[in-house]
Amino acid sequence: MGGYGDVQLLREDGSRLDGRKLDEMRPVKIEAGILPAADGSAMVTHGLNVAVAAVYGPMEAHPRKIQRQDRAVIDVRYNMAPFSTSDRIRPGFNRRSREISKVTAEALESVVLVERYPRSKIRVEIEILAAEAGTRCAGITAAAVALADAGIPMRDLIVGVASGKIEDTVVLDLDKAEDNYGQADLPVGILPNTGEIAFLQMDGDLSPDEYNLAMEYNFKAAKEIHEVMVDALQRRYQGGDV
Amino acid sequence: MPELVPSLLRQELARLAEEDARLDGRGRWEAREITLETDCLYNAEGSAKVTMGGTIVYAGVKFELRTPWPDRPTQGSLMCGAELRPVAGRKYEPGPPSPQSIELSRVVDRGIRESGCIDMESLCIVPGEKVWGVMIDIHVLSDQGNIFDACGLAAIAALRTAVVPAERFDVGEDHKLQVSSTPIMASYTRAGGRFVYDPSEEEELGGDERIHITLGDEGHLHSLQKGLKGVFTPAEFAEIFDEAQKHCVVLRKLVAKEEGN
Repeated sequence: MGGYGDVQLLREDGSRLDGRKLDEMRPVKIEAGILPAADGSAMVTHGLNVAVAAVYGPMEAHPRKIQRQDRAVIDVRYNMAPFSTSDRIRPGFNRRSREISKVTAEALESVVLVERYPRSKIRVEIEILAAEAGTRCAGITAAAVALADAGIPMRDLIVGVASGKIEDTVVLDLDKAEDNYGQADLPVGILPNTGEIAFLQMDGDLSPDEYNLAMEYNFKAAKEIHEVMVDALQRRYQGGDV
Repeated sequence: MPELVPSLLRQELARLAEEDARLDGRGRWEAREITLETDCLYNAEGSAKVTMGGTIVYAGVKFELRTPWPDRPTQGSLMCGAELRPVAGRKYEPGPPSPQSIELSRVVDRGIRESGCIDMESLCIVPGEKVWGVMIDIHVLSDQGNIFDACGLAAIAALRTAVVPAERFDVGEDHKLQVSSTPIMASYTRAGGRFVYDPSEEEELGGDERIHITLGDEGHLHSLQKGLKGVFTPAEFAEIFDEAQKHCVVLRKLVAKEEGN
């Protein structure tokens, strides 16, 4: 965490700078099937973040050395568009995006029924078009909806959510300022039906009690986002009201 | 497989051409549905989303302060980059920029740069010391044909709605980027032996060479590019040049409408 310390992130009345309550999430909107070229796709707008995920496959895995005899491999690329941040980022992979890609792939492998597709590959492309803290979580949520949209069998969806700590107070879903000047961030990928956790990272400083409260917030938010995910898929496949 | 499909497709495109028809039922010079939306990305100083049929492209404009080139102390700079990342389609592979994406960004860049729509002198803050670098990044999210026109349209629309973030860099007040004209690209692909406008993915797959024409407000040429294997006659060019004049007017009006002019 940045931890510059003396930036005020909570108002006198205890509410956050953008007016949210401590356990209030930024608004989340999801649309499934937005990219005609892809086998499955989704766009997640989480606050000011915009994450798009495309799924291609299952397809033949090559080069052959990446093939697994008993299951599919999931090839994830998390990428931030050059114009997604305040200062332009140079195109191409960096250490941060490689790490996020790796742990996201491992999280998705934990829910996709990869054993159904031996020797094949499922490509998941996560593109961040606008970044204001919380892009890895928005990316995971988008990837899960895109996989479902592609008709790939999964044990459960995954919901990406994060809680953190600002001014010694645990809050749900850090925005950009809270992320920059806060004290901790705890992004997780939650399986909404089983209550299991497939993605976990954390940095900063949290006491055991603060961790428990942050996790409680995360589970509450996961439930809310899950409803939005299901709604997006239903609108796509059941011709519900748009 | 990659060879077999185009050969069948080529036969079909040739048959359709004889009847002056197209795979998706369009007329030879007819475009697919086009949508344009600007100011759609929070962190970009100018942004645009373009859809042409199933093709989806985003463009974002960013600014940076830099020192001018020693031989041009009063001029800022413009850079246009296009990324063909694997998100855009099954055929795209991860890796360093492909020759195809480099061609795409350079053709878009030339059309905008050579039209002179951005006065490089207007990007000067302190001669010899501080100028603006304008960077347009184009992101193709879904390629279902004719990404060149979609990228060209997104780039100019993003530029024309861009705001120079002078306050954030502590060099004056935020102001609109000055863009004096609207260069527009129109692309034609030979499918079934004759040129068609706004080629679909199938027409590109089973087609031959493509020609990209960028025209300014007065109908003057600002960039031309012939891509892929194939030859064409001056008479064929004359025909598509005439069509390009009409097609560019349509897209320029779309940009003006989005800007609210």
